Amino acid sequence: PIKPPGTRPQAAAAITPPRVVPSAPPEIRPAAREEAAAETMAAVKRAYLAVYNWAVFFGWAQVLYFAVDALLRSGHEGVYAAVERPLQLAQTAAVLEILHGLVGLVRSPVSATLPQIGSRLFVTWGILWSFPETRTHILVSSLVISWSITEIIRYSFFGTKELFGSAPSSLLWLRYSSFLVMYPTGISSEVGLIYIALQFIKASEKYCIRMPNKWNYSFDYFYASILVLLVYVPGTFSCPRYRFMPESSTPSVCALTVDKLTLDTGSPHMYTYMLGQRKKALANSKTA
Amino acid sequence: MKVSVVSRSGREVVKGGIELKDSAKVADLQEAIHAKTKKYYPARQRLTLPAQPGKSGKPVVLSQKASLSEYCEKGSGSLTVVFKDLGPQVYYSTLFFWEYVGPLIIYPIFYYLPVYKYFGYEGERVIHPVQTYAMYYFCFHYFKRIMETFFVHRFSHATSPVSNVFRNCAYYWTFGAYIAYYCNHPLYTPVSDLQMKIGFGIGVVCQIANFYCHILLRNLRSPTGSGGYQIPRGFLFNIVTCANYTTEIYQWLGFNIATQTVAGYVFLAVAAAIMTNWALGKHSRLRKLFDGKDGQPKYPRRWVILPPFL
Repeated sequence: PIKPPGTRPQAAAAITPPRVVPSAPPEIRPAAREEAAAETMAAVKRAYLAVYNWAVFFGWAQVLYFAVDALLRSGHEGVYAAVERPLQLAQTAAVLEILHGLVGLVRSPVSATLPQIGSRLFVTWGILWSFPETRTHILVSSLVISWSITEIIRYSFFGTKELFGSAPSSLLWLRYSSFLVMYPTGISSEVGLIYIALQFIKASEKYCIRMPNKWNYSFDYFYASILVLLVYVPGTFSCPRYRFMPESSTPSVCALTVDKLTLDTGSPHMYTYMLGQRKKALANSKTA
Repeated sequence: MKVSVVSRSGREVVKGGIELKDSAKVADLQEAIHAKTKKYYPARQRLTLPAQPGKSGKPVVLSQKASLSEYCEKGSGSLTVVFKDLGPQVYYSTLFFWEYVGPLIIYPIFYYLPVYKYFGYEGERVIHPVQTYAMYYFCFHYFKRIMETFFVHRFSHATSPVSNVFRNCAYYWTFGAYIAYYCNHPLYTPVSDLQMKIGFGIGVVCQIANFYCHILLRNLRSPTGSGGYQIPRGFLFNIVTCANYTTEIYQWLGFNIATQTVAGYVFLAVAAAIMTNWALGKHSRLRKLFDGKDGQPKYPRRWVILPPFL
């Protein structure tokens, strides 16, 4: 059996071995029906999660395909137009993952899921969709490719786990190694695009609320975006912004309790931490 | 008796242990540890009994006033304690002072000084009466809190980690500035006169009630600060466990009714959430402690913090 990698920041409480469906002691027969019901429920959950993961996988696969296709055909200016719909669908579908965590379908701490999905949605809708001037920038290509590769690996990993109970070690390796490149490229693209959008945000006054008004409130999208940028800034040592999302309440045959490691936009501090985790995880998988 | 002091990893914190009189108290042990280690003053020490193998649950924390012999294993003349460094500490009064002095100073800055010039609002500012009253109200509130910190409250723990100073000050000072910015804004839109009076009326009544709650809580604890728990009684405590938080929340509600800013309501929501969290903990602690067994009175049925909701 594979040990979960190393010590965990913060989300330690959420990380436990896969939950086994509680079964009643054999003497108590009436519980047998409950047991069967619980097992059906677990199967339904697994089926749903399998469908969910593969569906979103397919969405991101489309994104990657259309992106590369557009790049080769017409150059980076055309990438956004080619990927817009599947990108928006696949990225927004991730909101369901917050729901999954909330209702207990998966064991991900909502407090961890929220920031990352928030930042992704901010870039997808709040920057790219809202400010078309940014769409032709080359960073869109790097963004879309980084995101789609990461997500393809992640969703196929979990899709496989849900379907077959475990995922092949090659997929595990991919998950823990792809971040080495995708992490820097993804974050740079996100930060870069937000920065580029700033001038358009300021000029357009979009999403701004001005005084005076009855509720004595104001909102300046330009300054809010700068605040978001600052939060991205690497080197914050306070709370680790990379999250563990231990998933799957279903018992796995291969006790791959390696948690759903999703890298948040965060610090290089986290990057080096991840390198360490990777070493441990891959070493552990060898001893399984 | 001989006391050996080990860290949670088993390493000896004080080499060779400490030799103390059999009648020594935990406080004496803490003094001795401080003398030997120099940097770990008593407030930084958290001493617990070693976890029993097989037994789960929270480790037993040594109480400062207790005798060491209470914690010894039966018959033996020795004791092992597990030491944890809580990090640099500050007095609670220090912490509270710095938290509260921020808003006390920041709010008048927005009221009196021409700060809005730097936000792009040139020209004369017309100050509405409600803005003046709001400033006095807000500042009085934090002044009251500081006074209570030094003259009313009796703290269960004397100290708090230094890191809390930064965290708590960030919270109070940021929200203070956030609210002050909107309440004193040149383009501020006041509510009706009646609404303002109702708002401040509620606020003042609840602040007085809140002060009385603090007095009642203070009288539950003895001046020597043994920090135990008592069932709060009297006034609103007969119906709500954390009447002090209740009155505080309603006091802010009054302020917001009078000033009507989204910023103020956001602060109210966050503060209420934090206090509710605390109240739930306190309520359940009291119920667990006063369970009606072993001569303890049973904790009466009460609202936790906000009748009729919770």
